[in-house]
Amino acid sequence: MRKFLLLSLVVLCVLGTLPLWAGAVVEKAPEGPTKIVYWRSLTGVAGDVQDELVAKFNQSQDKVIVEAQFQGAYAELLQKLFAALAAGEMPDLVLLDSPFVTLFAKDGALVSLDEFVKKDTSGFNLKDFIPGLMQDGYYAGSLYALPLMRSTPLLYVNGDMLAAAGLPRRAPKTWDEFREFCKKVTKFDQAGQPIQQGAGFTIGQTTAHWYFQGGVYSFGGQVSDENFGIHLNEEPAIKLATLWQDMVFKDKTAIPSNSHDDFLNKKVAMVFGSTGSMGNLLSRADFEVIPAFMPAQVKNQVPVGGAVIAMTSSDKRRQEATWEFMKFMTNAESNSQIVIKTGYMPISKASMVYPATVAYFDANPIRKVAIDQLIYTCPQASVISLGKGTEILRQMVEKLLIGNRDPKKVMEETTADLLKEYNESFK
Amino acid sequence: MGNVAKKRPFRWYLGRLGTQIILLTISLVIGLPFFWMVTTSLKSPAEVAIFPPIWWPKVIRWDNFITAWNLAPFGRFYLNSTITASTGVVLEVAIASLSAYAFARIRFKYRDILFLVMLAAMMIPSQIGLIPNYVVLKHLRWINTYQGIVIPHVSSVFGAFLLRQYFLSVPSALYDAAEIEGLGHVQTLFYIALPLARPVLGTLVLYLFLAKWNSYLWPLIVTNTQSMRTLPVGLAMVRTAEYAIGPEHLMAASLFVLVPPLIVYFIAQKQLIEGIAAGAVKG
Amino acid sequence: MKRLRMSRRARRDMFAFIGFTAPNFLLLGVFVFWPIIYSLYLSFFKWNMISPKKTFLGVANYQALFSDPVFWQVTRNTLTLALFTVFIKLAIALTIALQLNRNPKGGSIYRAIIFSPTFTTSVAVAMVWTWIFEPTYGLFRYLFRALGSTSPDWVHSVQWSLPAVIIVLIWSGIGYDMVLFLAGLKNIPLEIYDAALVDGVSPWQNFIYITFPLLSPTTFFLTITSFIGALKAFDIISIMTEGGPLNTSNVYVLYLYQNAFQWFKTGYASAISLILFLLIMIITLIQNKLASRWVHY
Repeated sequence: MRKFLLLSLVVLCVLGTLPLWAGAVVEKAPEGPTKIVYWRSLTGVAGDVQDELVAKFNQSQDKVIVEAQFQGAYAELLQKLFAALAAGEMPDLVLLDSPFVTLFAKDGALVSLDEFVKKDTSGFNLKDFIPGLMQDGYYAGSLYALPLMRSTPLLYVNGDMLAAAGLPRRAPKTWDEFREFCKKVTKFDQAGQPIQQGAGFTIGQTTAHWYFQGGVYSFGGQVSDENFGIHLNEEPAIKLATLWQDMVFKDKTAIPSNSHDDFLNKKVAMVFGSTGSMGNLLSRADFEVIPAFMPAQVKNQVPVGGAVIAMTSSDKRRQEATWEFMKFMTNAESNSQIVIKTGYMPISKASMVYPATVAYFDANPIRKVAIDQLIYTCPQASVISLGKGTEILRQMVEKLLIGNRDPKKVMEETTADLLKEYNESFK
Repeated sequence: MGNVAKKRPFRWYLGRLGTQIILLTISLVIGLPFFWMVTTSLKSPAEVAIFPPIWWPKVIRWDNFITAWNLAPFGRFYLNSTITASTGVVLEVAIASLSAYAFARIRFKYRDILFLVMLAAMMIPSQIGLIPNYVVLKHLRWINTYQGIVIPHVSSVFGAFLLRQYFLSVPSALYDAAEIEGLGHVQTLFYIALPLARPVLGTLVLYLFLAKWNSYLWPLIVTNTQSMRTLPVGLAMVRTAEYAIGPEHLMAASLFVLVPPLIVYFIAQKQLIEGIAAGAVKG
Repeated sequence: MKRLRMSRRARRDMFAFIGFTAPNFLLLGVFVFWPIIYSLYLSFFKWNMISPKKTFLGVANYQALFSDPVFWQVTRNTLTLALFTVFIKLAIALTIALQLNRNPKGGSIYRAIIFSPTFTTSVAVAMVWTWIFEPTYGLFRYLFRALGSTSPDWVHSVQWSLPAVIIVLIWSGIGYDMVLFLAGLKNIPLEIYDAALVDGVSPWQNFIYITFPLLSPTTFFLTITSFIGALKAFDIISIMTEGGPLNTSNVYVLYLYQNAFQWFKTGYASAISLILFLLIMIITLIQNKLASRWVHY
C-alpha cells in the first residue's frame, strides 16, 4: 500500500515539474546574438560538412548563432516542413530538395531573396554562381533559394569487373555501348541463376525518376516542359523505357536495384548514382570505381539535383541573420570545403578557382567528372514539383522494370496521372 | 493426465517427444532472427557479403558496436527513451487506475454510456491524430519537448479496461467491508483495489513501457533535434543515410534498441505472463 | 430520510466519478476524439497543409477516393494482410499453447523465447528481416536453397512483398496470442477432462468438444484485437517495403500517411482516415454479433 502512495507521490511530482520541462525547452527571446535554426538533411560526410560549417560560422562572429537540426533524409525533412507549416512553427533556413522550391514558394512558405541581394553591401555577387544551378531557385521571376549541395546523376563503373570481362576500364559512351558492356559482364551459374550482371537500374527510391530523366535527355527528349506539357508519349522516352525493360527482361543483363549495396557487393558492374555519393562509393569499394557521365545517345545533358537552401524565417531580425549565414554557406571557401569532402559540384566560379578546390582536383583527377558535367546541366522536369510528381514517376519505373508492362501503355497512364495531379494540386 | 501416463506409457512418451519437436522447431524459427542480428553485428564487412552465409564470424568484431554507436548520439537517445517511456508509464497507469476504479465501483447515471465512449476510442487509429495533435501541441508550445512526446499518449483505454475487469473480479464483499469501515473511494482504490491488482498492474506497466519504448511514428513527427529523439527514431535516421551503411553496423545499432526491453522482459517474464493470464481474458 | 441519504451518496459518487475519469476523458477528448472531428472537417476541403487557404470541395475527396484504383488495391491488401495474419497467427499460437499446456520439460524457456518478439522494436524488426530477405546474401536465400528451391527477391517482388510483410507480422505477434491462449487453457477446469476420460474420449475429440469451445472467449478476444491491429499495420511495412513495389504491399495507414505527409493531400488523407475508422468500427460490430452466436462463456 505504501508503494501506491509512493506511486501517487511520484505522479504528483512529475505533474508538478511539467512547467519546468516546458521552461527548459521553450527559448526566451535572446538578447545579444540572434539565434536561428537551420534544418539540414543528409548523413555521412555530407551531413558532417554542414555541421562543421555551422560551427565555423558560429565561431567566426558573435552576432548570429546557428543551430543545425538534422531532420532525416530529404523526404522526411519535407514531411517535417509540412507539419511545421501546418502548425506555424517554422525553422529559419532549410536545406531543400531542389524541385520543391516551386511548390513551397507558390504557397508563400519561402522568403524572396531579391531584397537581400539588392540591399547587400558586402560584395555578394549573384552573377558569380553557375547559371545552370540557379534556374530552379527562381519562382515567378523572384529568387527563393541559393544552390548548396548540387549534384548530377552519374554512372559508376566497376573497372575491375569490366576488365575481367575483357572490356576496357572506362564507362560506355552511348546507351548501345552500355547494353553491349552489360551483355559481356553478365554471368550465370549452371542452374541459370545470375552470378553477376551488367547494371542496376535504380528503383524504389525517391530518386528513381532522376536517372530516367537523364536518360530521356540523352535521347534528345524531355519528361515535361516548363508549361507542364508532358512528353512521355514521344519517341525518346519510349525508346529509353523499351531499352531498360528489354535489358531486364529480354537480355537479363540488368536488374532493378534498390541500393548501392548491389554495386559494392559486385552483384552488378554499373550503377547510377548522385555525384554526392562519390565520396562514399570511392571510400567503401574494394575495387576500382570509375565515376562517369551517364551514357549519351543523342547528346549529353543531365537534370541537376541535390539541395538548395531557402529562407523560411518569419521574423525580420532573424531573416537578416539567416541571410548572413546563407552568404557564408555559399561562399567560395565553404563551398570548396563541401566539394572536397563530398564530391558535390562547385556552385560558383569563385569556388572553382579557389586554391583548395584547384589543388584538390589536380590531386584527384577522377573526381573532375563533377566539374566537367557542369556545362551539361539543366533543371529537372517541371512535373517533379507537383506534390505527387516524384511518386507517379517512381511508379512508372516500377511498372516498366518490375511489372514488365508495355512501355507505350505505361507512358500513356503516367501522362494521364501527371496531368490529373497538375490539375488537382498546381493549377 | 498423470493417470494416462501410467496406463499408456509408450504413447505418452511419443506425445511428449512430439511436443518437444514442435516447441523446439518453433523456438528456433522465432529465435533465428535474433541470432542472425547478433551474429551479423559481429562480422566483418567481407563476412557479411558471403554466400552461402556463415553462421559465426571467425574473428568477433566488437568494434562494430563502437562504429555503430558513433553513427548517431545513441547515449542521448537512451536518455530520452528512458525519460519519456518511464514518465509515460507512470502517468498512464495512474490515469488508467482512476478510470478503471470509477467504471468498476462508482455508481453514476451515465457510467455505461461513458464506458462505451471510452471503448470507442480504442477503435480510432492513432494515425488520424498526426496532424490535429501536432497543431494542438503547437498551441501548447510543446513541440520538441518531452511532454510533447509523452502527454498525447497517456490517455488510457486498454489499461483502464483491463484494470476494470480485474476490479470487478474482486469479491464485492471486500468493497462492502471497505464501505462499512467508512473508506472513501480514494482510500478504497489505494488500500483495497490496487493492492489486489498488483500482478495485473505489473503486467500493465511492462506492456506500456514496451509500447512507449518502441513507439516510432509520433516521436518522429514531434521531435526536431537529435537532442530530443528517442531510440527507434534515431535508429530509423541511421537507416535513411544517403549512402549504404553496412548490415553489420545496422544490426549492431538495432541491438542498442532491442536489448533494454529484452532485459526487462526476461527479468519479469513470470509476473508478466501470470498477470496477463489473470486480467486480459476474463471477457 | 432514506431518499435524502441516497441522493447525498449519489452526489458524492457523481463528483468522485467525474474526478476519477476527468484526466482520462480530457486527454481522450483532446488527442483522440477531436482529431476525428478535425479530420472530418478537413476531408471536405482541398488543402496542402501550407496554403493559408482551404478550398471547399464537398464530398469530392470521397468521390475521388472511390474511383482511385490504388485505394481499392490498398483495401484489398489490407484485408488480405489482416485475414492471413490473424488466422495463421492464431492457429500457430494455439498449437504452441496446447503443447505448452502439457507442461513439457523446458516449457518456460520455450515460452520465453516464443514471447520475446513481442518486445522488439518494429524499426529493428524491419531491419533484421529486410536483411534476412536480402536476395543475395540473405538467410532466406540460403534456407530455400537448402530445401532445393530458389528464394524470390521478397521485398522487391510484386508477388512476394505482401507475404513477406505477413511473415514478419506473424513472427512478431505469435507470442502475445500464445500467452493469452495459455491463460485461457489454464482456466479450463481439469475435472472436465477427467470426466471425458471416463467416457473414453480421444485427444482430438477432447480438443473439438471441450477445449476449443471453452477457449472461445480467448479466441474471440484475440480475433478482434489482432484484426484491428493488422488493419492499423504501419511501422514494419513503411520501413521494409514502403508499400511497394507498385503498391502491392501498401496498406491503409501507410497510404494515408503517404497522402498526408508525402504528397500533401491533407483532405484526401483525412477522407482515408475516416474510411479506416468506419471499417474498424464495422468489423468490431460484426464480430460482436458473431460472438454471441459461437462464443460459449
